[in-house]
Amino acid sequence: MSDDTRDAAGSRPLPPTGGVEPAGPPSAEQSASEERRQDGRRASERRPTTIRRAIRDELAEEESTDEFYAETHPQEHRVTPVIELDHVYLGFDRPILEDVSIEARKGETICLVGESGTGKSTTLKLILRLLVPDRGNVCIHGEDITNLTFEEALDARQHMGMVFQSAALFDSMSVFENVAYPLREHTALDDDEIEHRVREKLAFVDLDPDQVMGQLPSQLSGGMRKRVGIARGMANNPEIMLYDEPTSGLDPLSTGTITRLIMKLQRELDVTSVVVSHDIRSVFRMATRVAVLNERRIAFFGTPEEMAASDDKYLRDFLGGS
Amino acid sequence: MPALTERLADASKQKLRTVQDYFGLAGKALRFAFVRPFYHQDLVQQMDEIGVKSLGIVLLTGFFTGMVLALQSSVQLQTFGATMYIGRLVSASMIRELGPVLAGLMVAGRVGSGIAAQLGSMRVTEQIDALNTLGTDPIKKLVTPRVLGALIMMPVLTVINDFVGILGGNLISTLLVGVPTGLYWRTVWEQIASDGFTLRFIPNDFVQGLVKPFVFGGIIAITACYFGLNTTGGTEGVGQSTTRTVVLSSILILVLDYFLTQILLSVLAV
Ligand SMILES: Nc1ncnc2c1ncn2[C@@H]1O[C@H](COP(=O)(O)OP(=O)(O)OP(=O)(O)O)[C@@H](O)[C@H]1O
Ligand SMILES: [Mg+2]
Repeated sequence: MSDDTRDAAGSRPLPPTGGVEPAGPPSAEQSASEERRQDGRRASERRPTTIRRAIRDELAEEESTDEFYAETHPQEHRVTPVIELDHVYLGFDRPILEDVSIEARKGETICLVGESGTGKSTTLKLILRLLVPDRGNVCIHGEDITNLTFEEALDARQHMGMVFQSAALFDSMSVFENVAYPLREHTALDDDEIEHRVREKLAFVDLDPDQVMGQLPSQLSGGMRKRVGIARGMANNPEIMLYDEPTSGLDPLSTGTITRLIMKLQRELDVTSVVVSHDIRSVFRMATRVAVLNERRIAFFGTPEEMAASDDKYLRDFLGGS
Repeated sequence: MPALTERLADASKQKLRTVQDYFGLAGKALRFAFVRPFYHQDLVQQMDEIGVKSLGIVLLTGFFTGMVLALQSSVQLQTFGATMYIGRLVSASMIRELGPVLAGLMVAGRVGSGIAAQLGSMRVTEQIDALNTLGTDPIKKLVTPRVLGALIMMPVLTVINDFVGILGGNLISTLLVGVPTGLYWRTVWEQIASDGFTLRFIPNDFVQGLVKPFVFGGIIAITACYFGLNTTGGTEGVGQSTTRTVVLSSILILVLDYFLTQILLSVLAV
């Protein structure tokens, strides 16, 4: 990938303030997105009447994540996916997931959407092997993790960072100790290096390290807790990040910050992510592919453009109703 | 009625699995005491939480139990004109039975409920999942320090409980019954010596009085951790786990006290 592309994509302010095209996009991209851009122009002449149209406009205004991904990872589809759920079935007292198959290739951001209670958090817990499927396989880097022993699973999880829906900060520890926890457990960093890393991660999620480090999780607001959760999840620099509703309950500005942050991790560090989110706008902004979970099954799995263009009734209701 | 027998079979299988899990947890927790990494800080913190912070209630209950023992037995002994044996009665009851059992019940109420509530709320707020995700075995990090802390601190608390109990008896017998302090302590020691010694110099009473709290400590910590870690159903579930912990560990303490006494008596008599 050329440094040009990377910079242009990484440093562009989000959300976009207007329909201005970035100066000199590579010519390959030009022809590829010609059609969409025209679509966008047409739409902006008439007033957008539906959310879907608004989303399509927005997509036309900035280089979409999946296009960026296609450019930077041209050969990736030939390689084993980093995360793969293969015909997974899972039930508790009743069936929750049936025949669920999704995959995430290196550097992808997969967004998992669906109604409340359809099993999105459960899917993330399957990837972490906090749960084991009744049938089917879950593979990380092509290795089946369903048959790992408890200790092997602990090791496997060290390459993954998880942001829990409820943040799940250890409430007997300060913010500093929370973020430092994975470093103390799994690295040989000394105290200075740990403090440096903790400060860096807290700053990364837009928190003032001096202000929050000594506080207890119970003293923070919900949104701050969530961001500390993100800082802890990525403290170890994992290659896989899983986010369970990282933006729910946040104001639009914080939502934008976190969305940008997830995109930054993807574009700069090539982190593979799975993001559960209800916020369709940010989903369309950060996803390389979207998986829609409906009635225990994957109803749709494809790029945001494909989703916006789909005529499927459920998808249209889902987007329109949001 | 096949449905009923089936249900009974299911229920008993479930119970069996619970018992299996309980002992599995106990085994793992103890095994992890010898496997790296060690969480020293957590152990120290738990010893403080279980031992030092329980000192107040143990002192209070022990002292008053000793006083009431002296008062009650003085009435009985007076009818035989044998009030000078009051020290023997108080020390025998305190060291063998009341010390360990009362300390056990108090700690079950104070510490057991606390552990169950803490681990239970960690479970329902996904903190246990978070520990797992961050590559830490929750049993090693949470259960082992608590079990070790209880195993170490329960005997210590019991010895203190015994001592203040006998001291309370001393106060009553001197002030109300008229047995001088010197005589009181001499009879206390006579009682301890009269029960024989293990390995020549450890009084048999002390063996009884220390084996029991050791076992009770383990029972309290493992019961609390078991119910705490297996909490389901939100904050309401946390309340249930707490109640179950206190009820079950109290019952286990009283039932096991009987069987331990029987075993120890037959072993020590040899
Ligand atoms: N440990 C469990 N035991 C029994 N049922 C469970 C358990 N965990 C989840 N479920 C059930 O599985 C279903 C899916 O739960 P999950 O938390 O994955 O939903 P979700 O898609 O994340 O919902 P939300 O958007 O509200 O977070 C729910 O109906 C829930 O009742
Ligand atoms: Mg969820």
